[in-house]
Amino acid sequence: MAATSRRAASPHRPHRVSLDFDKALYGYLLRLGLRESAGARALRFKTLAAAPPRRHILQISPEQGAFLALLVRLIGARRTLDVGTFTGYSALVVAEALPADGKVIACDISAEYAAIARPMWESAGVAGKIDLRLAPAVETLDALLASGGASSFDFAFVDADKESCDAYYERSLELLRPGGLIAIDDVLWFGAVADDAVDDEPTRAIRALNAKVHGDARVDMALLPIGDGLTLAVKRA
Amino acid sequence: MSSRTTALTEALHAYLLRLGTRESATAQALRAETLKATRMHPMQISPEQGAFMALLVRLIGARRTLEVGTFTGYSALVVAEALPPEGKVIACDVSAEWTAVGRPFWERAGVADKIDLRLAPAVETLDALLAEGGAGSFDFAFVDADKANYDAYYERCLALLRPGGVLGIDNVLWGGRVADDAANDEDTRAIRALNTKVQGDTRVDITMLPIGDGLTLAIRRAQD
Repeated sequence: MAATSRRAASPHRPHRVSLDFDKALYGYLLRLGLRESAGARALRFKTLAAAPPRRHILQISPEQGAFLALLVRLIGARRTLDVGTFTGYSALVVAEALPADGKVIACDISAEYAAIARPMWESAGVAGKIDLRLAPAVETLDALLASGGASSFDFAFVDADKESCDAYYERSLELLRPGGLIAIDDVLWFGAVADDAVDDEPTRAIRALNAKVHGDARVDMALLPIGDGLTLAVKRA
Repeated sequence: MSSRTTALTEALHAYLLRLGTRESATAQALRAETLKATRMHPMQISPEQGAFMALLVRLIGARRTLEVGTFTGYSALVVAEALPPEGKVIACDVSAEWTAVGRPFWERAGVADKIDLRLAPAVETLDALLAEGGAGSFDFAFVDADKANYDAYYERCLALLRPGGVLGIDNVLWGGRVADDAANDEDTRAIRALNTKVQGDTRVDITMLPIGDGLTLAIRRAQD
C-alpha cells in the first residue's frame, strides 16, 4: 500500500497501490491512529541511531506495534511470546499492554540488540515483565514445552529468521491455549512470495508456511496487508 | 520486521486472496453478484477485510453484533458465518434495493436467520435498541455508512457495546483526503472530527489500521 518505502533495496517495486501513503497521510496515521508511549518512541529513535546500517528496518512500524498491543488487550493476554526480539520494540509495546502480572518471553540470539533494548525497557518501566532468553528461539520454545508450557500462552508474535518460520509456528501453536492468537510477520516478504522469479530459501519457507496455515484445520486465520504482511491465526478449541 | 507497508501488486493481491483468506463459496458468489447488480463494488468491503472481521468475531467469541451500513450484505454474511448458531447480526441500512441483492445469499449460506435487517435510518434503529435496554449488550459493531453521521453512529455503538467489545470504523482515511488540506467537504470534515475525537477518547483503546481505506479498531474500556 505504501508507495514510499524505506526499503529501497527491495527488488519488488510496487506497480499498483490500493491507497497511496504519501508522507502527509502516513503522518496523519501516526498522529491520530495510535497512542505511542514516550518510552516506545524513545526506543524507536534509539534503534534508528544505534542499530547497524540498514538493520533498523528489522523494527516493526509504530502502527503495527499499536495493533499488536490492541490485540493483546482484546484477548486479555497475560503470558506472551516474542520470537525475534531485535531491539525490543514489539516486546515493549506488548508489555505495556499487559496487566501488572503479565509476561513476555522474548527470544533472540543477539546480545548486541539486547543491549539496546534493555535500558529502554527499564526506563519505560516494563523490564520486570520481559524475560529475555538469549538463545536460538527453537531451543527456548522447546525448553518451554519440556517444562510443561504447552497450552499456557495467550499470544505469540513471530518475527525472526524466515528459514525457521515453520518450526516457530509449530512450537508457538503448541504453546498457545485454545483461543490463543499467533501473529506472524513478513508473510508477503516484500511481494517475493507472489513472484515466480524468486526462489531463495527464505521465500520458499514463507510460501510453504503460508500454504500450510491457510489449510491448517487447527486454526482460524486471516492474512492482513499491513506492514510486510501479517498473518493472524487463532488456535481452535 | 516492517517499517512500512508493502505495496499490493495485482499478483500479490491475488496471492493474498488465495492464501490469506478462506472465503466461502457463497461469499465469493455474493461479491460477483454485487459487482453485476450495482456497479458500485467499491462500497463493498474487500475479502481480506471480511476475513479480518470474521477472525475478530471469532477471537472475542462474539454473539451479538451490529452492522451500520449493510449495502448488499457481504460483511453481514461473513460475520454471520463466523458467529455461533445462536449469534445475531442487527443489520442497519436504508436501501431495500441493495439489501435485496444479499438476502438470497444469506439464505444459501444458511445464515439468514442470524441476520436481522432493519430497513430504517441507522440512528433510529440504534436509538430503538438503546431505548429497549440494549446498552452494553453487544460484542462487536462495524460502521461503514454515510460519513456525515459517523459521530452519531460512533456514540450509539459505543453505548451499545459491552466493556471489552470491539468497534470497527471503516473509511477513516477517506482516500487520503483526511490529510489533504485542500479537501474541506462535509464528509471529510466529519471523518477528521471523528478521528481526532477517537484518538483522545479515554473510553476506548484504539488503533487505526492502514488496510482498505483505513480501518479504526476501538475497544470499549471497562472503566468509563
